[in-house]
Amino acid sequence: MAWTKPQIREIEC
Amino acid sequence: MEGADIPCLPRGVRLHHDKVRDAWVLLAPERAVRLDPIGHAILSRVDGTASFDQITADLAATYNAPQEQIAGDAAGFLNALRERLFLEVA
Repeated sequence: MAWTKPQIREIEC
Repeated sequence: MEGADIPCLPRGVRLHHDKVRDAWVLLAPERAVRLDPIGHAILSRVDGTASFDQITADLAATYNAPQEQIAGDAAGFLNALRERLFLEVA
């Protein structure tokens, strides 16, 4: 797997 | 995030694999964030003993990518978690 910019997705409601 | 900083998960925050979504999530009391595989790769190396430099060097070897690029991306990622109290720095 190649390096990519990491992502965060907040789970809310 | 500086090279000698040692990131760690605060009390009550943990990595969890969500079988429903088949995705890794970072759980905190009454809050959660979903991680992509790269985010999980970074956080799986956060053990409270490894420095930021050690973490990015290991990632650079694993992904065969320049450590400077990884350090930039990982610092932004970890700082975003730190701002929301999902991460602490020793």
